[in-house]
Amino acid sequence: MKILIIEDERELSASICTYLKNEKFFCEAVYDFSSALEKISLYEYACIILDISLPGGSGMDILKELKANNKADGVLIVSAKNSLDDKVSGLKSGADDYLTKPFYLPELAARVAAIIRRKSFDGNNFLQFDELLLNLDEKTVKVNNTVIDLTRKEYDLLLYFISNKNKVISKGAIAEHLWGDDMDMADNYDFIYTHIKNLRKKILLAGCRDYIKSIYGMGYRLTL
Amino acid sequence: MASIAFYILLRFVLIDQVDEDLKIEEHEIEMYVEKFGKLPEPMPVKDQVIYYHFAGRHTKERIFSNVTAGESYPDKKERSRQLKFFIAVKEQWYQVFVEKSLEGTNDISRSIIMISLATIIAMLAAGFIINRLLLRRLWRPFYTSLSFMKEFRLGQTQNIVFKETNIDEFNDLNKTLEQSISSAEREYQQLKEFTENASHELQTPLAVVRSKMDVLIQDEKLSESQSNLVQSAYEAIQKLARLNQSMLLLNKIENRQFSETSAIDIKQLIEQKLIYFKELLGVKNITVTAKLEKVVKTMNLSLAEILLNNLFSNAIKYTPEGGKIDIVLSDTSMIFNNTAESESSLDKTKLFNRFYKGEQSSENHGLGLSIVKQICLVSGFTIEYKFIARQHSFEVLFNLTP
Repeated sequence: MKILIIEDERELSASICTYLKNEKFFCEAVYDFSSALEKISLYEYACIILDISLPGGSGMDILKELKANNKADGVLIVSAKNSLDDKVSGLKSGADDYLTKPFYLPELAARVAAIIRRKSFDGNNFLQFDELLLNLDEKTVKVNNTVIDLTRKEYDLLLYFISNKNKVISKGAIAEHLWGDDMDMADNYDFIYTHIKNLRKKILLAGCRDYIKSIYGMGYRLTL
Repeated sequence: MASIAFYILLRFVLIDQVDEDLKIEEHEIEMYVEKFGKLPEPMPVKDQVIYYHFAGRHTKERIFSNVTAGESYPDKKERSRQLKFFIAVKEQWYQVFVEKSLEGTNDISRSIIMISLATIIAMLAAGFIINRLLLRRLWRPFYTSLSFMKEFRLGQTQNIVFKETNIDEFNDLNKTLEQSISSAEREYQQLKEFTENASHELQTPLAVVRSKMDVLIQDEKLSESQSNLVQSAYEAIQKLARLNQSMLLLNKIENRQFSETSAIDIKQLIEQKLIYFKELLGVKNITVTAKLEKVVKTMNLSLAEILLNNLFSNAIKYTPEGGKIDIVLSDTSMIFNNTAESESSLDKTKLFNRFYKGEQSSENHGLGLSIVKQICLVSGFTIEYKFIARQHSFEVLFNLTP
């Protein structure tokens, strides 16, 4: 699957590409308005990461161009302007999601994964990870047909880990994913530790392996 | 002063008049002497006395003087004007005294003074009243401008138009005021734009640094000590990002970018937040008691959420392990009480200031409560802080809702 990154800040674009690319995803990057237009007219992408302010034009116009040509590419807007108007008009114009800079790459990856899942959703809205089967509509998790009783936050956390599997997710990224960005808890991450401990315990109790590893107090990683 | 001068002048004129009369009298006596060769019989005329003395020597001079007791009426003390002169009748010199009472002239001058005093007072009174009326009319544009200036708040741009007056000085004043206001307003706008732009411009480099960090921590070859270094840098970036975000938010609230309002069910929103923050409360073993009435207020939804998030996170952060948070919601106010860590109250005057840091919160950027205050301000609420029975109490008063 191809992902197009339309972002004029090359370094940011490079980080996104490094983080997202794996055996399933392949990234292309363009840095200005006209080459972006060219790319979207020539190819189809599973997801387009679109910056609003671009040299040579606005990302909004690219979005409109996509919709005018009935392209089905998923679009995630990233903007330095955390403006509600941008968000509303972006989503109205057909973007699938909106993310404000500076974002966490795991957050971006989770959003991209969600967009791609929605776009390529072929009747079944399930997500399989090893023995875990997530029902994305009902927000439930089953192991060998037995439901693991997770709280809403634990479910969100698990889905977040699965969308970022084999990646180290920092505690800050986890906190922001679960409690939003106006929750100012930067000086204390004990609650994350407690939270993840509970999740691991429940998964272990259901008879699965311990997927989630702590990485030097920096963050956590989910691996097979 | 003027009346004193007037009195003196008047007296001078009147005495001059009396002197004139006395001279006429002298002349008459001289004529009589010339005609009949003897002195006229002193005739007692009202206000006038004439008498003679023999005089051994004589001078040519006439002497006018003021005397008090008329010599002919020793009982009646009157102020008189006296003329002394010498006259020769048949080789014999006489000194002639002619006295004229000044009482009459005194009466005249007194009544003239009275009349003029009354006139002056009447004129003064009239002048005073006219002045007041006129001045009030005249100064009206000034007071209009003054009251406008009292109302004026920088950054809350109303169109500044002073009424044109037909007084040049005031037009000048108004024009100067308009100019300085608009230049202050312009500079304030520029400053705000600068802050906003600066914050916006910071977002992209912050995004780059954070993304690089996210990539860096994926490196399997990182040793533990390297990881710790990365971790510290990561957290610092986090604080910077949050600070920047809060500044942007404050700016946006100030610029009234959250103008869209709707009816918000505050009770429901608080209940949602209680679920949202359940885990955080659980970790610190905080007991929450909430007495909530159904309250619906008109405000912006995003602002309502941010307000509650800030009040909650503030309360959670500063409540010690095992402490208590009480939330009371009524139609007039919303109160967040939380157990304090220390015995001392926070500084009420500085608490809501930007970058205010309490003793125990050096980690905090100090914008959270400024944001709360600003939201209250634009939503027509007020916020108060109290310290009661070892509890911090933040009360949002709704009663000012327009």
